[in-house]
Amino acid sequence: MSISRKINVNLCQRDNSAFIHINFQAMASPCEIIIQSQDKQLAQRLASKVCTEVWRIEHKYSRYRTDSLCQQINTNGGLPTPIDEETFLLLNFAEQCYHLSDGLFDITTGILRKAWQFSPNHEVPEQSNIDSLLKYIGWQKVKYNQHQVTLPEKMEIDFGGIAKEYAVDKAILLAKSITDSPVLINLGGDLAVTSPLKQNKPWQVAIEHPTLTKQQPDMIIALVSGGLATSGDSKRYLIKEGKRFGHVLNAKTGWPIENAPRSITVVAPQCTQAGVLATLALLQGERAENFLNEQEVKYWVRR
Amino acid sequence: MVLGKNKENIKAALSIATSTLLGIAIPTESNAQQSSVTDDWDIESAFLFYSEAERVSAIEGIISANKTFDNDEVLNLKFTIDALTGASANGAVAQPYAQTFTRPSGQGQYVISGEDTPLDDTFKDTRVQLNGQWTQAIAQDYILSSGAHFSKEYDYLSLGINSNLAVDFDRKNTTLSAGFSYFHDTFSPEGGIPVAFASMLIGDSNDPDWDEAFAKTRLTSSDTKTTTDLMLGLTQVINRRMLVQMNYSYSMVDGYLTDPFKIISVINEQGIAQDYIYEKRPTTRVKQSTFFQSMYHFEQNILDLSYRYMWDDWDITSHTIDSRLRIPVHLFSSNESYIQPHLRFYKQSAALFYQPYLLEQNESLNIDYASADYRIGQMVTLTLGVKYGMFLEKGNELSFRLEYYQQTPENAGFESIGVLNDLNIYPAVKAIIAQVSYSF
Amino acid sequence: MNKIIRLCFIFITSISVMGCASLGVEPWERDLLAKKEMALTSSPLDASLDDHIYFSKEASSGGKSFGGGGCGCN
Repeated sequence: MSISRKINVNLCQRDNSAFIHINFQAMASPCEIIIQSQDKQLAQRLASKVCTEVWRIEHKYSRYRTDSLCQQINTNGGLPTPIDEETFLLLNFAEQCYHLSDGLFDITTGILRKAWQFSPNHEVPEQSNIDSLLKYIGWQKVKYNQHQVTLPEKMEIDFGGIAKEYAVDKAILLAKSITDSPVLINLGGDLAVTSPLKQNKPWQVAIEHPTLTKQQPDMIIALVSGGLATSGDSKRYLIKEGKRFGHVLNAKTGWPIENAPRSITVVAPQCTQAGVLATLALLQGERAENFLNEQEVKYWVRR
Repeated sequence: MVLGKNKENIKAALSIATSTLLGIAIPTESNAQQSSVTDDWDIESAFLFYSEAERVSAIEGIISANKTFDNDEVLNLKFTIDALTGASANGAVAQPYAQTFTRPSGQGQYVISGEDTPLDDTFKDTRVQLNGQWTQAIAQDYILSSGAHFSKEYDYLSLGINSNLAVDFDRKNTTLSAGFSYFHDTFSPEGGIPVAFASMLIGDSNDPDWDEAFAKTRLTSSDTKTTTDLMLGLTQVINRRMLVQMNYSYSMVDGYLTDPFKIISVINEQGIAQDYIYEKRPTTRVKQSTFFQSMYHFEQNILDLSYRYMWDDWDITSHTIDSRLRIPVHLFSSNESYIQPHLRFYKQSAALFYQPYLLEQNESLNIDYASADYRIGQMVTLTLGVKYGMFLEKGNELSFRLEYYQQTPENAGFESIGVLNDLNIYPAVKAIIAQVSYSF
Repeated sequence: MNKIIRLCFIFITSISVMGCASLGVEPWERDLLAKKEMALTSSPLDASLDDHIYFSKEASSGGKSFGGGGCGCN
């Protein structure tokens, strides 16, 4: 896993549009910052602070990095790992999501990837294989307080479902403290804005449909405040005997959620909230739309 | 796999959880609502002053409020109030000597000095107008907009409805629209509706027989007209910088289209007025127009250019060219501001029945309609203006507009007779338009 | 939680490459067109005030929008 640490500040000010684009890589995704301003120095300063913050969160919570706090927690062989305030808050947040979803949203399910490989040619795993992993799943087994967290041996936690959205929201707070100019921060499709554009105009965000056929048109979303996040991945599935297995797994059974939409995009006051709502909806399977309607949020579902 | 019974509260619970995670203020129901109310209403207001040299002055104020709802429905409410005072041409031609006319109410006379264009200075009116417009998507790429109009002035009531359907094609690059509007207007002029071609009664309004004699020149107290407009439109995005629109409009006006305040001078062979008769226009008018507009975004500036060709069954044709160039500038602060010069050119031909005056010997001829209203005569008008707008805090915009408007009526080939040769019977009208707008 | 792994959506805001042979633009090329001042009626109040003036002073009305009635001025 190599992450290029390059910030590409694109000072294009075509047509007096007064936007400055900054592109960088983080969390295995192309990321960008857009600021509605012509102040290059401000943009440079913003870019360096936001990138530093995003990379810090990535470094700390990535499951892939051997030197991350996440990896340290996961490999401590049943011993407590000291944590800071930020990690405590994240664990606390994950716990609330777990309760709100009646156990469907569980940051200990990542281990199931050892059984499921989602690409069309892979096999559906044996039930025994899944069962052997299920005993290492279950948030209720995680013990934590403000100072330390303890995982039973072989269990793992994975912040992948919240870290990116959390990074967006943290970066937005940072941007707000640096400038009053409207800023959009996009980390691989999960994004948020600090304010509407000047003259109270909404940001026009186009989200390309992720299928290969490109038959469906792009969604154009007018974003005035808050953020949006997308859950789901229509390329990750496997087909066995005519049955399609999507990559969204039920934490309780270890099997894919049936009739889940391919992807869901939700708009909410914060990116984190949007991301969790999208994920919770995905976990509802065929009831996804009903769930989103009950929550009265703005959403787009691709099935 | 159904979430627990408190599922309705998941969003609220997540909101609190997220706020705790990020260490930001937990939104409460009340301040969330407050902010949505203040954020959602976009208010625009404008105040306009219009003043013609020696003629009418008007002030007009508008407040327009837009609210966008959750599903992108847009409600627009607009309130307009205007007040008009001053003098307006009554249709009679200037004479070498003073002329006396009766006020439209029948109560009293006014005298116009020799060589002056006869102006009736009794105009004084206040108008209140309300508009509501609701716009929403009724299906993917189908947008329906419907509205209602109400306006009331002292002697005039207008009620209207309109509806327009727009359909987007090709990634919203092409939009076709079709719409209609219908207005029903009731005119109750002071002094009633005059009998067409009746002579204006001139004399002593305190005479005991005056009221009876004046009443004979009156038909009814009020009359109505209806206006039905149909419009087809095509909007096309040409490229990233250019957008064009083409419209075709068909408009049918039916009912009382005459101006009850307008008269025509009946002159003898020396050009001396012998009589003033009330004008008469047809009771229908069918107008059609084609309209073409383009918006072009240069590196910085934006050019808005439009052309309209209108023709009707009164034989009026007109050409209108309107152009605005918006130039961004940085004058007083780092905030963006702009200067926008405006140039409008308008030329119309005269209605078939337009007559600057009638000849005495022809008056007994069978003329069906006649009007000396210069506004349906041959005319060229020019508007030159400039607008300066600046953006304030939070995107609020303050702008000022100053324009000069000149109407130059032309002789559409009428022979000048006798004393009229030495008089200006096609006087130009010059006006200043000043406007302040503020949006927040 | 890797059961939901995001594909990074291709995200495009306003600014992008130019150049399209045919009529029209892609959604992400609407940066200029989306400006309020590029709207066909960029200042609705100016338009409404102008319509009122010209409706009452000239023989033509409408064309761009409904000509309508609503005024005893002509």
